[in-house]
Amino acid sequence: MNWFFRAIIVLASAGLIVGCTGEKEATITILISPDHIKGWKAIGEAFSKKYPNLKVNFEAPSSSTDDRQTKYTTCFLAEDAAYDLVYMDIIWVPKFASKGWLEPLDDKFPESARADFLPGDIEGSIYKGKIYRVPMQSDAGMLYFRKDLLEKAKLKPPQTFSELMRACTKLQKKPDLYGYVFQGKQYEGLVCNFLEILWGYGGDVFDSDGKLVINSPEAVKALGWLVDAVRNYQVCPMGVTTYNEEECHRTFQEGHAVFMRNWPYAWSMTQQEGSPVKGKVGIVPMVHAAGKKSAATLGGWGIGISKFSNNKKEAWKFIEFATSAPIQKLLHEREGLIPTRKSLFKDKDILEKSPHYGKLYKVLLGARPRPVHERYTEISDIMQKHLSASLIGDETPRQAARLMAVEIEVALGQK
Amino acid sequence: MDSVLKRYLFLIPVAILLGLIVFYPVLRCAGLSFTTHDGLGFGNYARAFGDARLAATLWNTTVFTVFSLVLEIILGLALALCINVSFRGRGIVRAIVLIPWALPPAVMALGWTWIFNDVYGVASDILYRTGLASEKIAWLATPGKAMLSLVIADVWKTTPFVAIILLAGLQSIPKSLYEAAAIDGAGPVRRFFMITLPLLRPHLLLAVLFRGIQAFGVFDLIWVMTRGGPAGSTETISLYIYRIIYGYLNPGYAAALTIIAFLILLAVAVIISILNRRQHELA
Repeated sequence: MNWFFRAIIVLASAGLIVGCTGEKEATITILISPDHIKGWKAIGEAFSKKYPNLKVNFEAPSSSTDDRQTKYTTCFLAEDAAYDLVYMDIIWVPKFASKGWLEPLDDKFPESARADFLPGDIEGSIYKGKIYRVPMQSDAGMLYFRKDLLEKAKLKPPQTFSELMRACTKLQKKPDLYGYVFQGKQYEGLVCNFLEILWGYGGDVFDSDGKLVINSPEAVKALGWLVDAVRNYQVCPMGVTTYNEEECHRTFQEGHAVFMRNWPYAWSMTQQEGSPVKGKVGIVPMVHAAGKKSAATLGGWGIGISKFSNNKKEAWKFIEFATSAPIQKLLHEREGLIPTRKSLFKDKDILEKSPHYGKLYKVLLGARPRPVHERYTEISDIMQKHLSASLIGDETPRQAARLMAVEIEVALGQK
Repeated sequence: MDSVLKRYLFLIPVAILLGLIVFYPVLRCAGLSFTTHDGLGFGNYARAFGDARLAATLWNTTVFTVFSLVLEIILGLALALCINVSFRGRGIVRAIVLIPWALPPAVMALGWTWIFNDVYGVASDILYRTGLASEKIAWLATPGKAMLSLVIADVWKTTPFVAIILLAGLQSIPKSLYEAAAIDGAGPVRRFFMITLPLLRPHLLLAVLFRGIQAFGVFDLIWVMTRGGPAGSTETISLYIYRIIYGYLNPGYAAALTIIAFLILLAVAVIISILNRRQHELA
């Protein structure tokens, strides 16, 4: 009988060992943009090396943000577990969280762990006191300018709205060189552009108590400035009210504009070999009204966990891994994406390759999330419509501000 | 077995298939349209009646549909008449005519966006260089011109489709009719109005029906070119419904609007088929 007991002991201990080390085998799925797929795959490989039983499946069907939002939404509406991880644009957080589609991360990502992250990115990840994503990639609007043209005219980079307008009227030579390009098409980008001006005048959409304050003298002034740029001083190309980021970038890169409001992605392209403005570009935070502060609209992405996921523990392991400093640095090196950890903006390797990160850091510290509201999409659509109407001269800034307030009030009153 | 019963028995598979593909989604959508945040009821429909944005989008959709339809039928008919005549290389020309129709809508919409761009666009460049316009025109920047640009892009893309339907109709008209009319002394214009147009009527109605339904549901073209702007002037019903579902996460209200749009289209389709039937009775 002895051999029998021995065999049982051997088998049992073998089972114990396997049970301890061999954790659950799992594949976790995330939906991302195909633009940066190589960098993400590298992260996935490094992750599987650390956790051999876990695999990450990157689905990258479309570089359109709207498409990916639609895909996530469809899955959530069907309560489907297709995606364990949710790679979220900052404005999706309140919308998804209010529907209960996201797992709150407060116990895993306590305040002590958030200290190294940029404050705006954290603020934009919180909805009603709970945090739903860990920031992975930051983004904020800023003002690009032509260093060479300003130097030639002995002008300093502008700091206020009136300085910017003056520099535009002085330097532009239409139709080959326009003063200012921005995202004036009726879409989300227009709201991002407008918010920076609104904040720069000291206004806001909601005040700190959540009261709607869009119909304010500051809003009228802010929109008035933008309308002046397009219609009265005419420092923008005629078609600026149809431009999104790419049209702005192209106009600026071809040397047809002195100033451009855009996201940081445009920087590396203006500095590429063969770019007509290579070495002639500078960046500053978006201008502000005299006596007020600059503010940038925060974009940026973070990772959260789907409520319907069957692999929540494993998903968190990936989030922890991917948002760590070395991995964010890896993604930055591979894909040029902006990290969300403050420490990386002082990293020697990063600063050496991207000397403009010092200035970018200042922009990011002053960046603010768009109104954190579960019905932001509706609010934004209403704003887009009236901002656009104002830019094409259908409504005065005063009318537009009033109508925005009225329509947002009505929309939010409806369930 | 009774032969009538047998006949119905054979129809069962088709009925099941149609029921699953057509009626189930429509009924499901109708059911969804009665769900509101407060439970079941007519709330979504009541809201639709007071919805100014719905009225605006329905108007935009109608304008887009009517203008593009009229232009497409006229141009499509002209095109069909051209490629109906036999000439050398007609096969190749017929194939070329179809190219716009074969292009993916989003791709061609992106192309048209650049064509209508003020700085780089061909459209404004031609007008500017020929002196027809004193300055470069930003086509998509003002409501009227933006709608016109969308109609032009749509007409360019779908005229070949209309032409193909009408070409089939033209080829079904017996040559002998024209010969007889010619012997009786009818000129080409008279022959066109007395023979071609009346005999082409079923095909014209078919083209109107197909294209009308498609134009009423237009999405991709507008989504790429204007996103409904400027100032909401080109937002169509499909864009609005899409935004309500995926933007505002309100499938109930979106379903109600879908049903309303469906009923409008159904009414138009019924009117067209009545017109078509009357034609058959006359003939």
